[in-house]
Amino acid sequence: MEKKTIEVEGKTIDEAIEKACNEFNLPRERLKIEILSEGSSGFLGLVGAKRAKIRAAILTFDLNVEEPKEEEPAKPREETPKSTGGDVRTEQAAVPAAPFLEGLLGRMGFPFPVKQEEKEDHILLNIEGDGSGILIGKGGQTLDALQYVVNKAVLKDGKEKKRIVLDTENYRKRREESLIELAEKLGEKVKRTKRPATMNPMNAHDRRIVHMVFQNDRQLTTKSRGEGAFRKIVIMPVRK
Amino acid sequence: MKDLIKYIAQALVDRPENVDVSEVAGEQTSVIELRVAKEDLGKVIGKQGKTAKAMRTILSAASSKLHKRAVLEIIE
Repeated sequence: MEKKTIEVEGKTIDEAIEKACNEFNLPRERLKIEILSEGSSGFLGLVGAKRAKIRAAILTFDLNVEEPKEEEPAKPREETPKSTGGDVRTEQAAVPAAPFLEGLLGRMGFPFPVKQEEKEDHILLNIEGDGSGILIGKGGQTLDALQYVVNKAVLKDGKEKKRIVLDTENYRKRREESLIELAEKLGEKVKRTKRPATMNPMNAHDRRIVHMVFQNDRQLTTKSRGEGAFRKIVIMPVRK
Repeated sequence: MKDLIKYIAQALVDRPENVDVSEVAGEQTSVIELRVAKEDLGKVIGKQGKTAKAMRTILSAASSKLHKRAVLEIIE
């Protein structure tokens, strides 16, 4: 094989090496590369730009295969900013529940403080509201929406296992009491008429409260019908 | 309103840097447009649209305080 050496210039060392490969029509591994000048883009790529210069020669068989490593450090320097730049993933740490909710409320225009309490089977976040009930919403829908979003955000990475329950102005307790009252009234009606009665669609938590009311009632039984958000309870008389 | 939706969406998705929210303001009603990475679309919509519905409920509670209306659009 004829030994030949050429000098190649390029904007970067990589570009110069590529040119040399094309010149010899050989892969990079078969060339011996000597860097003469690393080149620089100069100030803002305008002033004082210097072209990279290399000397390339075909590797002869007795040459050490490790030779090419000489220019290796130069290569990563060209590549690193590009490859990491496109791949940045801002991995979020576990979202602490109370500060997350406070941030959420603040952006809603309700900068109320939140108190966090660790319960046996759930974490209770109590919003110290202004008594207007605006955070509760019709049938508790705003409070439930907030609770849903907080659960989704905090439980996302799976580190926190406990369910998060939101409350404000003692709403949960009041809701439970009125639900029990309503269920008992409906129960009486079913016993009187001996016909099943259907309640409005409710979430799992509320349905559970109603099921509990009739748990020990021998004359009545409860079932849930429907799917998802439309699931509702039917109170039925027990057939003998 | 824009900040509110951005705050919620970024907490729900895997790629918060790809969350983009814009607001088309009207006299009474403004439209909030939410864009997320393709693989995060399901996260902001949720099972049977539950997450999207929750965001809309929160949004209407927040805008009712200002005596305004806001509509949330999730852009594919």
